[in-house]
Amino acid sequence: MPEETREKENYILFKLMGTTYGIKSNDVQQMEMIEHITPVPNAPAFVEGLVFLRGQVIPAINLRLRFGFERVDYDIKTRLIVVQKGTRRVGLIVDNAREFVAIPKDVITPPPEAISGLSGEYLEGVATLGDRLVLILNIEEVLNFAEAVKPYIQENN
Amino acid sequence: MAVKKEKPKADLKNNKVEKRQKVTDSGVIGIHSQLGEITRDADEALRLNNRIWEGIETEVRTIDQVLGGVNEMTSLLRDSEGQADSIATSTEEHSSSINEMAASIEQVTASMVSLTTSINETASSINETSASIQGVASNAQEMATSAAQVTTSMNEIAGSIKHVSNETDSLVTSINETASTIEEMARSIQSVAGNAEDLAAAAEQTSSSMNEMAASIEEVSATTENLSSLVEQISSSIEQTARSVQGVAANAEKISESASSSAAASNQLDRSIHSVASLSRTADEISRRLAREAEENGSKIEKSIQGLFKIRDSMRQTSEVIKDMGRRSSDIGSIVDTINLIAERTNLLSLNASIEAARAGEAGRGFAVVAEEIRNLAERSAKATSDIANIIKAFQEVAQEAVATTNEGMKAAEEGSTLSEEAGKGLKKILLGIEETAQLVSQISSATNEQLQAGQNLVNESNMTASQAKQIASATLEQSKAVQNMVQISSQMRKIAQQVSQAMNEQTRASRDIIKAAQNTSNLASQVKRATKEQATGAGQITQAVESMRKATATTSKAISEQAVAGEQVSRESLRLARLIEGMSKAMAEQATAANQITVAVENMRKQADQTTKAMSEQSRAIKDISSATDNIAKQIKIIAATNKKQAGLGSKITELIVNIRAIAERNGEAIKDSRKIMTNIFEKAKTMGIIMERM
Repeated sequence: MPEETREKENYILFKLMGTTYGIKSNDVQQMEMIEHITPVPNAPAFVEGLVFLRGQVIPAINLRLRFGFERVDYDIKTRLIVVQKGTRRVGLIVDNAREFVAIPKDVITPPPEAISGLSGEYLEGVATLGDRLVLILNIEEVLNFAEAVKPYIQENN
Repeated sequence: MAVKKEKPKADLKNNKVEKRQKVTDSGVIGIHSQLGEITRDADEALRLNNRIWEGIETEVRTIDQVLGGVNEMTSLLRDSEGQADSIATSTEEHSSSINEMAASIEQVTASMVSLTTSINETASSINETSASIQGVASNAQEMATSAAQVTTSMNEIAGSIKHVSNETDSLVTSINETASTIEEMARSIQSVAGNAEDLAAAAEQTSSSMNEMAASIEEVSATTENLSSLVEQISSSIEQTARSVQGVAANAEKISESASSSAAASNQLDRSIHSVASLSRTADEISRRLAREAEENGSKIEKSIQGLFKIRDSMRQTSEVIKDMGRRSSDIGSIVDTINLIAERTNLLSLNASIEAARAGEAGRGFAVVAEEIRNLAERSAKATSDIANIIKAFQEVAQEAVATTNEGMKAAEEGSTLSEEAGKGLKKILLGIEETAQLVSQISSATNEQLQAGQNLVNESNMTASQAKQIASATLEQSKAVQNMVQISSQMRKIAQQVSQAMNEQTRASRDIIKAAQNTSNLASQVKRATKEQATGAGQITQAVESMRKATATTSKAISEQAVAGEQVSRESLRLARLIEGMSKAMAEQATAANQITVAVENMRKQADQTTKAMSEQSRAIKDISSATDNIAKQIKIIAATNKKQAGLGSKITELIVNIRAIAERNGEAIKDSRKIMTNIFEKAKTMGIIMERM
């Protein structure tokens, strides 16, 4: 199937714990380097604090902590990916994010039955790019999963 | 008739005369026998005297010998005190001294031989003397027999006179002649009386001389006893000396042994000095070589120290450079970080641009392409910067390591340089030490060379000492022999002294006998004197009777002629007697000559003894030389010196004693001479008395 004719969708690829994840470019509002995070009291552990971006106050979520991994220090490659789904806007702190790729829809397969269930809720599918595996993240689920902070976010909104 | 008438008268008178004549006769006979006794006693006394004289001579000789020996020994001992000082004089001196000594000993031997011949001469002279004395004795016996014959002749005369008296009557004519004869006889008797007085006086004189002699003999006897005790003292002193000399001989033996062992030790010493000398020479060479090498090494170490300093400096510089590089690389790192940040930001911008372009849809397509390009470039620059960062990181690590290494190297270089400095200092010290060692070793080498010579000298000297010690040992042995001889001589002297004192005792006894005999003679002489006085009175009476006899005597002419014959016989006998007496006097003269010869021989002996003494003094001088040679050893051995001192004291004591003895002996000689003179006087007197008797 020729390249031009295949249906593609743009993805931002990021890395967490060495694993490459994909997130739809349309859901990403912007990407930033971590500069200053203002901690908020009485917030869940994975909520790092608040960041001030383009005149907006956005909550920053450490995706590592959100996914139950261990915390690492920030560095020059640490990225804050600001995603928007509806009216909710959240900054996801990831290890690294530097690729913008167009992935054909036919290389994306649903997640295998074995990992469905709890973690399957976050994944839309698995794409194979050459010899690389990319986990396509279900951003809504990720944000839903952030129901715990919803009142806080709503309050801010 | 007249003759007959006068006959009884004459007979009476004749009887009286006869009686008196008988008394006189018996007195004469007594005097004769006394004279014989005196002669015999005198003879014995003379013999004893001669024996004593001989004894004293021998004694004097022995004393001289002993004195010589003691002098020799004293000088020997005194010398041997100093002998120890200079034993180092050469063996030649020794040998020449010994030759001298040998020559002088030969001289002494010759002198002794002539002394022996002189003594033999003396002995033969003495034999002659004794023979002539025996001749005198036999002459005296013959004289006695002649006297007996004279007596018988006189008896014959008396018988013929009796016959004449019986025939007086018929021999008147011969009375006158007889009377004159009797007068003559009376005169003769008177002269006999005078002679008898002389005799008595002579006998008294003899007696007093005998007393004198006896006194002198007593004196001699006393001094002889003194002498005997002195001789005892000397003997014991000489025995003591002999013992100490034997001790010295043993010590000399020991010295000889120790000298031999010291000679052996010095030989060993010489050998060891030789080996030390060769060792020190080798050490000298080695230390010289060592000094050279140390100097060379010193310069090398100096160079290496310099090199180490340079290394340290360059290390320091290198370290500085590396540190600088490290600093610069971190500058580069920060630049790279900046670049990296820029790359990241570029990537971020390109991503945002891509997001914005994708949102713009178809309009943003070109922009998306540019954003992608930018992202790719940013990716490449990020990759390059990360490569650079890696390289710089590696470089920085290497630089760090290099800095550490150079620091360590620098430290090591510093340590090395300080160590080398210390080594240099140590080497300098070693050099100094080696120089000192070399100097010391060369000093040792020269010292050992000197030692070598000294050791050789020591060996020679100790060998000489050993040989001289041997000589001393043998000389001491000879000394001990000489002292042994002296002991023997002194024992002989002791014997002689005992014999002399015995002879003196005998002489004393004989002189007492002589005194007794002389007293008897004196008594008899006075009896004779009395008898002759009576005879004189009788002769006066006879003279008176002769007048009456005159006529009667005429008839006795025939008898007178017989008497004449008898008188002739008497005169013949008298002649014979005279001859005998002449012979006796001749014998006496011979005796005198013999005595003179004895004196000469004794003089010779004296001279010989003097020569002996001289030779002995030469010998002692020679021995003095020897002793001066052996002085050194004496010094080394205090024991000998001490003993010698003691011996010297003993020797001088002995000398004193012997001088005393000699004086006593000389005094004895003088006394003996006196007694001899007296004896000769007695002899003379006896002779005179004999002549007088003859005249009677």
